[in-house]
Amino acid sequence: MNNLAENKTTVLDKPTNAFLASLYPFMKKQIDNKRHLSVMTILFLFFAWWFVTFIGWANPLFLPSPSAVTQSFVDVAVDGYQGSTLLEHVGTSLYRILTAFFFACLVGIPLGILMGISHSFHQVFNPIIEFYRPLPPLGLYTLLVMWLGIGESSKLALLFLSGLPGIIIATIQAVSDINPNYVRAARSVGAKRWDLIREVYLPGAGPTILTGMRISLGFIYTVLVAAEIVAATAGIGWMIWDAAKFLLSDVVIMGLIVLGVTGMLLDLTLKLFGKIVMPWTAVRKM
Amino acid sequence: MKIMRKALSASLLFALSTSIAQAEVPEEVTVGYLNLVNAQLVTKSLGLVQKEMPGVKINYIKVGGGGDMLRAIAGDQIDFGGLGNPPTAIGVTRDLPITGIMVLNMLDYVEAMAVRTSANIKKLEDLKGKTIAAPFGSTTHYLLLNALADEGIDPASMKIIDLRPNDIALAWSRGDIDAAWFWEPALGKVLNDDGNLFMTSGIMASRGYPTWDVGVVMDRFAEKYPDYVEKFVRAECKGIDYWLNNPADTAKIIAKELELSLEDATRMMKGTEMVPCPKQLTQQYIGETGKKGQFVDTLLSTATFLKDQKRLPKVPTRDTFETFLDASYLETITK
Repeated sequence: MNNLAENKTTVLDKPTNAFLASLYPFMKKQIDNKRHLSVMTILFLFFAWWFVTFIGWANPLFLPSPSAVTQSFVDVAVDGYQGSTLLEHVGTSLYRILTAFFFACLVGIPLGILMGISHSFHQVFNPIIEFYRPLPPLGLYTLLVMWLGIGESSKLALLFLSGLPGIIIATIQAVSDINPNYVRAARSVGAKRWDLIREVYLPGAGPTILTGMRISLGFIYTVLVAAEIVAATAGIGWMIWDAAKFLLSDVVIMGLIVLGVTGMLLDLTLKLFGKIVMPWTAVRKM
Repeated sequence: MKIMRKALSASLLFALSTSIAQAEVPEEVTVGYLNLVNAQLVTKSLGLVQKEMPGVKINYIKVGGGGDMLRAIAGDQIDFGGLGNPPTAIGVTRDLPITGIMVLNMLDYVEAMAVRTSANIKKLEDLKGKTIAAPFGSTTHYLLLNALADEGIDPASMKIIDLRPNDIALAWSRGDIDAAWFWEPALGKVLNDDGNLFMTSGIMASRGYPTWDVGVVMDRFAEKYPDYVEKFVRAECKGIDYWLNNPADTAKIIAKELELSLEDATRMMKGTEMVPCPKQLTQQYIGETGKKGQFVDTLLSTATFLKDQKRLPKVPTRDTFETFLDASYLETITK
């Protein structure tokens, strides 16, 4: 608690230098004295995994040993899996994820802001979003494949649609949470609608929008394997799906770990991005 | 030795169950059946398994292909299943607890490669640069790669994609693919839509690549209820006999089960060969206890092929496949 308070005051002391302020949380990393608990969790899981496979409690078909999974990592990284190396699989999937995410942000943030500001806009678009949001991705996918074919576009569309609602809803929330006094204050000094969006709505809503973006990226991630089931020949989700068909559980687990780690890295990148672009939110615990 | 003991205990249990009372009765039996045209549809439709097992709840689960069947087996979701030779080779190599108990069907033109007529594909060479679909890990994927290999064509010169039979029909109607090797009933939809038969699994069989589906039982089930495995085999054998003796009625059943026209059902039936149970014990098929048949050779060559494709980590010994095929149930009921 003490540390947090100290942290807060220091950042508030230096709001003038945005760059320094953005770096500050990283310089103060060592004060996070609970971090070793996370490290211990990871170590414990690895140990339990190793131990269970070592003494033969687990059927290697369902839970291969850490060394088998490591070996499959090396094999796929060097020789590839069915025509593509691990890097190409990850690259293909990242391309799909990031393209879909980019378009989800491109459409979702402006739409969310408009829906947050204007009640009519909200009424027009809300039914569409509320209707398709709870649909299971695979059900939606069948239709997308019928419309768009088995190529890249149906995969991107599915990922895009799964990422979109999270970001729209977060943005609407963010915009409607802005203190109306800020808007009145800005208006009183002559701000037009565009000025309001740039100077009040975006900065004020930024942190919540960023949270929405992170949630949206998470949703896109969860749908990746489903999107790569139909007619893919590369991608980390496809690799997992294909390996499962041939009961190559070491490749499946390796793929899941790679998927999890890249997901965490992407999320971390987004957080970093937020801290640099919106230094005024640096003290927020995200 | 193990087989002898299995057979012995099976017949002993059978004797006990008939003379005294039911020994061990499963509450329910779950049959995973492949979505294709064979006598299992007859057995299912006529309720023959149910007749053999009064009082037991019979569940039928339709499974899209071999890959899904392997998952169902690995997940312990079925008691009986059906597998083509590639998935069987995969399952046995990966030590899945299953035993092959009978031949479900030999595959002829019920599985075939259809090519788009307007795409003007006359020989395998013409597939270069085209998009071809097959359900990966299945019999047809195996045959496609073998057919290409036999003519020295690099699979990388075309785009081979993994689709399930129903998705193939969908992709075909949209024009996304030019060729596909898969099976009925989905195959029929494509043939009526600018498609024609280019190569059949029967032709590949004559070239030395026979494909078939074998009925399997989970070992856990077979150990606990050996007499119910026998009942199951007996029911399926009756279904096969019905198919062979009443083709007209069978066609009606197939048409009803798969919601097809009678004409389509009749054509599809001709594309698959049912083997009468006594004949399954000959060397061309499973063989008999102590002297297994050609199915072992097929499984071995399939496993070797999959190992070369890096789909399998190793090729199991001949012994492993001989143990996997258990002729004792067939032997008991055909006696």
